[in-house]
Amino acid sequence: MKTLALAAVGGLSLTLLVATSSVADDDNHNGYKRPKRLALPSDAPLLWKEECAACHMLYVPALLPAEAWRQQMQTLEQHYGSNASLDAQQAREILDFLLRSSAANRLPVEPSATAGEPPRISQTRWFAHKHDEVSAATFQRAAVGSRANCVACHHGAERGDFDEDRVKIPR
Amino acid sequence: MSTHWIVALTCCLSLPALAESTHPLLAGYAVQARQQAPQFAGFSAERGKALYFAEVPRNGKTMSCTTCHTADPRQPGKTPAHRNVAPLAPSVNPERFTDLQKVEKWFRRNCDDVYARACTAQEKGDFISWIDSIR
Ligand code: HEC
Ligand code: HEC
Ligand code: HEC
Repeated sequence: MKTLALAAVGGLSLTLLVATSSVADDDNHNGYKRPKRLALPSDAPLLWKEECAACHMLYVPALLPAEAWRQQMQTLEQHYGSNASLDAQQAREILDFLLRSSAANRLPVEPSATAGEPPRISQTRWFAHKHDEVSAATFQRAAVGSRANCVACHHGAERGDFDEDRVKIPR
Repeated sequence: MSTHWIVALTCCLSLPALAESTHPLLAGYAVQARQQAPQFAGFSAERGKALYFAEVPRNGKTMSCTTCHTADPRQPGKTPAHRNVAPLAPSVNPERFTDLQKVEKWFRRNCDDVYARACTAQEKGDFISWIDSIR
């Protein structure tokens, strides 16, 4: 019994290793070590801080690769079931900031599981990898809200602080 | 297009003919409402209230302005994506309905989210008449 279970666990972690190796590559070999590089850039425009945090928490730019932000900003009229449209000049200013501040993110663009949606942070393999010990039920707690509500567990999330020493999952 | 009439509205805000009791944004919306419908006969707080509470089926759920702004617009609300929203009623939140660009932006978004269309100038004026009357 015990050996069987151990073997199963061994097999599982092998699969996990294979599945996450490309993520690990990005973490180490490209000189890009998240979460240390997630910090909010000091030149972040007020426009972005206000416009992109009205309906949900502020997502720091390094959480997604530049191309994913481009897709976000091209589809604001149909933004995850919500109309988040901006006038062209403001959209341009925000896009410029997102592109230059996400340059260090070399992860691949992963389409959302829901057709017609732009990419999500909460559905990347990187996110799954960082949260492999957090259960689906935990993310669904009323006090948490959803996987996308990082700030419920990472109090400094809007400053780009995701240090695991400061994680606190609400009851 | 829309920038043009925002300029037009701004120009009219300073017209001296405005009664003191009416909200400063209403004069501009009245001009626009008359352009959209020549039979325009003024704004109604009653209709504005109905617009706020009307429930519309959207993607298998019901949506209304109360979904995020609650049934009492003097209270803080919350979006489905977990953000707190400051009260909408100017009597408790004086910053509301003072910036036409902001008002227009959120009418554009929120009317689309709830009614899957733009709101008319008539509807916007009705709504402001109602929300501004709440004490
Ligand atoms: C009008 C409301 C609204 C505004 C304004 C808005 N968003 Fe969103 N956003 C949403 C909703 C609703 C979701 C989906 C939330 C969910 O499914 O939990 C979302 C989701 C997201 C996600 C994906 C989160 C995840 O699951 O990983 C990103 C990234 C995002 N928004 C970026 C932005 C940016 C950048 C801006 C500013 C240009 C912005 N949002 C402005 C409503 C808005
Ligand atoms: C239910 C609470 C919860 C939510 C919501 C949540 N996380 Fe986490 N996160 C955790 C926990 C717990 C850990 C530590 C996991 C571990 O040690 O195995 C963690 C770890 C991390 C780490 C690694 C930290 C380190 O020091 O290595 C990052 C980065 C991270 N989360 C980012 C995010 C982002 C981005 C979001 C939102 C899109 C998010 N988290 C949403 C609970 C959460
Ligand atoms: C999905 C959530 C949601 C729904 C539904 C919603 N709103 Fe909003 N509304 C918001 C958010 C978020 C803001 C901006 C919050 C802020 O400025 O603090 C806002 C702001 C506004 C403003 C701007 C007021 C000002 O001057 O600051 C108006 C006007 C408005 N909403 C009207 C409506 C009307 C009318 C409806 C119904 C047709 C409606 N809203 C439905 C989320 C919503």
